[in-house]
Amino acid sequence: MPGPDDVDYEHIEYVDYKDTEFLEQFINNQGKILPRRVTDVPARVQRQITTAIKRARHLALLPYVSESIR
Amino acid sequence: MASNKYQYELTYVISGVVQQNQVDDIVRKVNHLIESNDGDVLEVDEWGNQRLAYEIDRKRSGYYVNMYFKAPGSLIDRLERELQINDDVLRYLTLRMDEKMQRHYEREKKREAKKKEEEAAAEEEAEDETDDE
Repeated sequence: MPGPDDVDYEHIEYVDYKDTEFLEQFINNQGKILPRRVTDVPARVQRQITTAIKRARHLALLPYVSESIR
Repeated sequence: MASNKYQYELTYVISGVVQQNQVDDIVRKVNHLIESNDGDVLEVDEWGNQRLAYEIDRKRSGYYVNMYFKAPGSLIDRLERELQINDDVLRYLTLRMDEKMQRHYEREKKREAKKKEEEAAAEEEAEDETDDE
């Protein structure tokens, strides 16, 4: 599972697109967003993570396709 | 006329090959556009030159500017149009801050202030220690 176990996902109110270090936990080595069955975070948080990653991609903070496989 | 103002967060990326004085010009222009149209700039945070996660128009780095402001909604169209026209601005993202975002913003600000305080305290402590010697 990504992220240390002591992170309390239930209490996350807003997922910030600027926090790329946090968001990187939820993409695989190709740059794809991991599904919820892998990340195991609450649906509410997963939805926010998804939009945050997409926003970060738009601003070139995160890759659409990772460098290694381009 | 008292039009409704909302709080916004704007992040834009200026091409990394642009000279620093031109970067300052763009930042000033954006701030001026907001302020001259009944808006208030709350905070401007320049992250500086960063590597882009992927190439945009053959450029590998960009100068990131993250800012917060209050403005009437009608300003956003004009602001984004300016950014769109400017070829040195590679990307921009404007978000209207809802309550969750505002609370998050306040929290982050408090955290940063605390961090700075702790750093200052640590520095003072270090100084004290050298005094003891």
